[in-house]
Amino acid sequence: MTFSITYLIMSFIGVAVGIVFGALPGMTATMAIAIFLPLTYAYDLHTSLFLLLGLYVGGISGGLIPAILVNIPGTPSSICTGFDGYPMARRGEGEKALKIGITASFIGGMISLGCLLFFTPPLAKVAINFGAVEKFLVILFALTVIAALSKGDMLKGVFAGFLGVLVSLMDCYSFNSKFRMVPPALQEYMYGGFSLLPVLIGLFALTQIFQEAEMGMKENAFQTDAFTDDASKKFHFSCLKGQGINLVRSALIGTFVGVLPGVGGSAASLLSYSQAKNFSKHPEKLGTGVAEGLIASEAANNGLTGGALIPLLSLGIPGDSTTAVLVGAFMLQGVSVGPLFISQNPDLWHAILFGLLVANLFMFVLMFYPIKWISKIINLPKARLYPVIILMCVVGAYSANNGNMFDVWTMLLFGFLGYVFSKVGLSAPSFLIGFILGRDLEAYFIEAIQGSQGSLLCFFQRPIGNVLWLLILASIAFAVWDSKRTKQVNHE
Amino acid sequence: MFKISFSWGQAHWIVPPAVISLLVVLLAAILIRRAVRCTKKHTPFLNFKAHILVENWDKIKLIGTFLLLFLYPFAMGSIHFLPASILFVFLFNILFCGVDTLAMVAQGGGLKNEGVRSLLVSLAISIVSSTLIWYIFGHIFKITLP
Repeated sequence: MTFSITYLIMSFIGVAVGIVFGALPGMTATMAIAIFLPLTYAYDLHTSLFLLLGLYVGGISGGLIPAILVNIPGTPSSICTGFDGYPMARRGEGEKALKIGITASFIGGMISLGCLLFFTPPLAKVAINFGAVEKFLVILFALTVIAALSKGDMLKGVFAGFLGVLVSLMDCYSFNSKFRMVPPALQEYMYGGFSLLPVLIGLFALTQIFQEAEMGMKENAFQTDAFTDDASKKFHFSCLKGQGINLVRSALIGTFVGVLPGVGGSAASLLSYSQAKNFSKHPEKLGTGVAEGLIASEAANNGLTGGALIPLLSLGIPGDSTTAVLVGAFMLQGVSVGPLFISQNPDLWHAILFGLLVANLFMFVLMFYPIKWISKIINLPKARLYPVIILMCVVGAYSANNGNMFDVWTMLLFGFLGYVFSKVGLSAPSFLIGFILGRDLEAYFIEAIQGSQGSLLCFFQRPIGNVLWLLILASIAFAVWDSKRTKQVNHE
Repeated sequence: MFKISFSWGQAHWIVPPAVISLLVVLLAAILIRRAVRCTKKHTPFLNFKAHILVENWDKIKLIGTFLLLFLYPFAMGSIHFLPASILFVFLFNILFCGVDTLAMVAQGGGLKNEGVRSLLVSLAISIVSSTLIWYIFGHIFKITLP
């Protein structure tokens, strides 16, 4: 990889813009990447990746600011940050809480980067030996994992995933040039089906705008007494003393949750927080404003960043909605992600590792020192920002296929669909993962049965395939058990 | 039972029916589960107000957003990207800040009037943002614009 100063500039811009998106409740890292994706047309993939990874890390990290200062998570991944961060801010320890969160985020990000570096190449090496049967079963496994982690809404999780698969198949089948599920009037536009970019801009940006419009675009109230000059309430690195195990455990939990397809940062934050409580010497203190809980949430959500890239770069399966959007960047440049990605694109692999490292460093520098000023971001009026975001969404969708108004209509359609999903409890990330994997699922299925002359037994005759079936059954069993347990807990 | 007839002529219609069947089964299961829960709790199966829209939802902003977004592509087709964007970003600004600012404008008072100031800010944002995006995306990055 030839180093260029442009990479650093793009990473810096990405992190800065990502922090703004993360800090504004309702806006997410996924939304930021979706909106900025069209810029990848103007740059090569290396440069674009530095921008997009910057947006990813900045977007996830920025969410801690409103969580701590106004007790509203800027992003779903900061859901538990406010549990302890907000009480600290109310005591005038806002700066301390923010800096603890930023440091935990940085360490979490670095640990997950280490996991990405060490685990992705071996996993990809195993996956290289996969045939069509195993690849089909891996995708099926990804779809059942979505169900297993849908927290009591197992059926809706699977439904959303397979609905995404079905929508991805609305196109002209490339092997026999026959349209399926496409009205004749739209066949001119839908030869390749719905484009990914307008679909994801609609699902993740427009849907949010509809929801905010429904709630009246209310602004956030800023906790003005969160910062004091009292030296005892300031941050020192000694605040992290005794938190080493908590930091590493939380970062690893976040990384692990990131590896599981379709599971977002909120699950990482919740799981890590509950584990911190289980292992704490003073569990009763969590929730009253202690560093332990704050560290657990923030180390986990940044741990997710590297973790979610592991299945993407080794198996071609996105770990979360944001990495699902990153697939769009690779697709736009004609690069396919999967087991061969690292061996065929070593430069890109190094760019991703370096991009994540630089983004984490920039995130720390950009947020740690000027945090008092950065915190004012949450005062930006949404009513003034959203019109500009709509404009960027339209430009992004239109440019998806080098200028096609059908893509703008696609974006509007999926924006509305995403809004309906939010009303009926269907998960948009699950839908998106199904949409991205749908065509591969079909291609591997057809390839497998073609090789076996139509016999479905081919799916049960390979050792790795049988292991994958066991994993699929285990994830379904877990989903049923977890669904019952959640119901019992809710009942109690 | 474990064999399906395969021909390339019909290969496009092997997976979709299987997925549709699975979706129908899942949908039936979701609806039955909901019906059972509603019967147990004596709650209505569908209460549009309670289930679909949030309490005190902002009718003007939500419906206005749908309407403006629907009209925006047509405007781009007829008056081109830059004028259409300036107009619609301005309208979205007014809509999201609250259409009551328009009523305030009628009270007069020049720049001291909050409504007038809000309108001017909306106008400035719409002109600056649309022109900047048009220039940066269309001319610097050479991205095709509507």
